[in-house]
Amino acid sequence: MIKVPPDKLMPGMRLAKPIMNKAGMALLGEGTELTDTWITRIQDMELEGAVYVEGKQEMEVPLDEMLAALEKRFQMPEDNRRMEIIKRAAEKHIRSLYE
Amino acid sequence: MNDIIESKVLRHRIANIGNLPTVPETLKRLSRIIEKPNVSLTEIAGFVQSDPALTFRILKMVNSAVYGFPGRIASVSHAIMLLGLNVVKGLLLGISVFELMQKAMVGLYEHSMGCAAASRIIAQRKGLREPEEAYVAGLIHDIGKVVMALEFTKSYEAALACAEQENISIGKAEKQFFADNHAVLGGVLSEKWRFPKKLTEAIFYHHQPRSAESFPLETAIVHLADILTKARGLGFSGDQIVPIIDDAAFDRLELTEQDIFEVFRDLEGSIDATQEVLL
Repeated sequence: MIKVPPDKLMPGMRLAKPIMNKAGMALLGEGTELTDTWITRIQDMELEGAVYVEGKQEMEVPLDEMLAALEKRFQMPEDNRRMEIIKRAAEKHIRSLYE
Repeated sequence: MNDIIESKVLRHRIANIGNLPTVPETLKRLSRIIEKPNVSLTEIAGFVQSDPALTFRILKMVNSAVYGFPGRIASVSHAIMLLGLNVVKGLLLGISVFELMQKAMVGLYEHSMGCAAASRIIAQRKGLREPEEAYVAGLIHDIGKVVMALEFTKSYEAALACAEQENISIGKAEKQFFADNHAVLGGVLSEKWRFPKKLTEAIFYHHQPRSAESFPLETAIVHLADILTKARGLGFSGDQIVPIIDDAAFDRLELTEQDIFEVFRDLEGSIDATQEVLL
């Protein structure tokens, strides 16, 4: 899922989340493929925030920094099998964000 | 040695949250309504509808992808019918304390939203009937910190600094300044607001789930969700390091490494949805 500001939308992008109006009602459903017409209307809506479209977000922080921070958060005084499981799962997940 | 703020003083402030000068008016009014015994659906709906910003935020929240009804809930009464009074009460609190949380501790709201989403994801995996209740427990599990930071700002700042310098958990650091920790005070608030015991226990024991007598599963869920949120590095809760998981709680949930990986994955998907709700 990628967050895109309304003025950067391109035809062919597919909504990863519905677009809501101020009352919280969905105007365009998830999975809608954006056309020029839809994009113009979205831009006219003065949406708060961004639009979510399908695709992979580029990560802001480099992987090695993320992993170093993870190491630092997991300072364990002794061997702990359960904490090792959580740490391995977290590391696997963080790596998967960069694949 | 620091002066430790007594339990009596802490609890007195909490009991009077409806009158504290540091607490914003919306939260005071909400607090007065939800602490009433047998508060009705109409009363809650009326209260929310009198505040357009609150109405907007709660409808946005329940219509977001975080819940199962994207774009389908049109009114506050409808939300209460679908989600139940307790869940709506909890969401309203979460929304009302959002700005306070940011003021109390930068990153606490992101941590709370992350923990809420993780609690819901784990509750669903464990087949709990009301995963939204787990969500609410996760959302307000650290509400004690908000009150402590608001009402005893200097002492709380000292506790935060102490946690950082001594590389200890915020819960341990709180002990040097306060007779009760944030989990206990959060539990007291939850009782005051007449949340069900399931929720109160999960908040009260989120750092020592083995003490939960009636709802060990729900409490274990919030305990693990809290740790996973910290493990993923979402937001900031005052802890520099990931706390050690309680053995019994971890074993009770019977999650494999792959299960936990999938919880992280699902959590990632809800983070963006979460940020939208704040706008």
